[in-house]
Amino acid sequence: MFYQTSIKTVCVAAVTFGLIAYAMLGGYFAREIVIEIALLAMLAIALDFLAGYGGMISLCHGAIYGVGAYIFGATTALSGTDPWLAALAAIAGTALFGWIVGAITANVGGIFFIMATLAFGQMAYVIVFESRALGGDDGLAGVGRFDLSAVGVNLNDSLQFALLCVAGMLLAYMVAATVLRSSFGRTLSGIHANEDRMQALGLSVRTHKANAFAISGAIAGAAGMLAAQHTQYISPEYLVWTLSGEALVVVILGGIGTLAGPVVGAALLVTLEHFIGGYTDRWHMFIGAILIVAVMAGRRGLFGEIEHRLSRRSETKTEAGIHA
Amino acid sequence: MSGTEFWATQFLNGLQLSMLLFLLSVGLTIIFGLMHFVNLAHGALYMLGAYIGVSIAMWTDNYWAAFFGAPIGVTIIGIALYTGVIKRMRKEGPMSQVLVTFGLIFVIVDLVRIVWGSIALGIPTPEILQGQVSIFGISYPAYRMFIIALGLAVMAGLSLMLARTSYGAMLRASVENGEMASAMGIDVEKLLFSVFCVGCALAGLAGVVAAPVFSATPAMATDILIPTLIVVVIGGLGSLTGAIVGSLIVGFIQTFGAVLLPSFSSILVYILLAGTLIIRPEGLVPARK
Repeated sequence: MFYQTSIKTVCVAAVTFGLIAYAMLGGYFAREIVIEIALLAMLAIALDFLAGYGGMISLCHGAIYGVGAYIFGATTALSGTDPWLAALAAIAGTALFGWIVGAITANVGGIFFIMATLAFGQMAYVIVFESRALGGDDGLAGVGRFDLSAVGVNLNDSLQFALLCVAGMLLAYMVAATVLRSSFGRTLSGIHANEDRMQALGLSVRTHKANAFAISGAIAGAAGMLAAQHTQYISPEYLVWTLSGEALVVVILGGIGTLAGPVVGAALLVTLEHFIGGYTDRWHMFIGAILIVAVMAGRRGLFGEIEHRLSRRSETKTEAGIHA
Repeated sequence: MSGTEFWATQFLNGLQLSMLLFLLSVGLTIIFGLMHFVNLAHGALYMLGAYIGVSIAMWTDNYWAAFFGAPIGVTIIGIALYTGVIKRMRKEGPMSQVLVTFGLIFVIVDLVRIVWGSIALGIPTPEILQGQVSIFGISYPAYRMFIIALGLAVMAGLSLMLARTSYGAMLRASVENGEMASAMGIDVEKLLFSVFCVGCALAGLAGVVAAPVFSATPAMATDILIPTLIVVVIGGLGSLTGAIVGSLIVGFIQTFGAVLLPSFSSILVYILLAGTLIIRPEGLVPARK
């Protein structure tokens, strides 16, 4: 069950302010890192919403991110659609994609669910890769960006675009948190805890799971839509299945089922990547080793561990207070 | 080439792909059926088989040394993975297993890049299998025919072993009901370990056999993984017959799809997979009834 605890608020606020400060004080390269963290955090929030609270461990979120990037990219680059309309299409399209995957896989559990989502993601990848109209493996250039000049924001400026991405991350967090605190979110946690009982209570588990997948897909698609605007170029690389794995790594590293954990995890992973990447190009070996150690050491993750320790301390305090 | 010859060649191509998929999926499916362990790093073992084969072939200048050496080498690596990581992860849920073996792929692929580099390496086809053979009046590369024969031989050997030996009977009993088998005095742990070793050896064998045709590249580890997982899910986890049926279906769909519906072929298998998961999530030939 999700609670917006003060630890979560402090953590998310700290990461947000850290990113804003780094983007404002640092140069172009710092802003690239901030954008990378914000977009990865959005994708990981989408995944944690589904995996941590709905128990659906999806390996197609990388593909959904890519579908979002492609719907936005292809409509702006090929037909010159207004970016705002294209963004709406990207979010609606990825929500629909998520809903379909969720509806089909609703009866499938455990490892079959993971494999099925992996296969759906690959299907999207193959379709994009082989589609000549979408540029195939060459990708598409000339993707547009939002026009915010009416409110005095120039998104072709790297700082302002970085701040837009941070805002996107914060919005994604707030949307996920709001949904999780609603009755819909409580029901989702109920399905995660005991699917049979929720079914017996008269709930349509399939519809509920599909809707949750749609919400998660829309958040992941929004992240992909921003990524397409960032690079202004899209290629099938956006849909590759290892991206889904990387998002799952972020969720695990930060703490699954905490929602704030993915934000911390994304910041940690991207920072580590650039730090280690400065010494060696064998970055993937480290990410693999970190993942193995993180999973084998326990499943709480970084944020989960902090939250666990702090809440245990406050519990002992309360207990001591009672005894006193 | 006449029409019949063309289709016969496509048939053999499909069969050859199916046999490679079979060698890989049989290990994966039985390890899953028996240990409830999902080893995504199975594709990485296949890649290691190819690379170890390349090195042995280079040192000894003999294909057959590589052919026998690579499965042994991969089994040793598999045993190290088993004792170091997999054994501890067996009690965990599927997500932890997927994540840990996903991490193993990253580590193994980068280690291979460090040891062997990123360029594609090949093994020369052994002399005796160079050239073409003539079968049913069509000529077909001898080496590819050898892959088909090897796959069929492994298939027959495993089926006989499962059906006719006491080891096979113990194995079937353990897949059906591990606790009961254990209560009947079968050392399930030891059985599991031996099955894991056989699975690794077959993955290594598939790798070294594929190397002369496809060359060894670091991308092999993930490229083969998804078709193999599809074979396993379509066939039914844990079942030998399922692995046979699944690899034939996937191998033929990929081959004939590429000829008949080129623009549509790659997604055919995914559609098949989605269909299987909706209609028969336990697979076509499940191990447990």
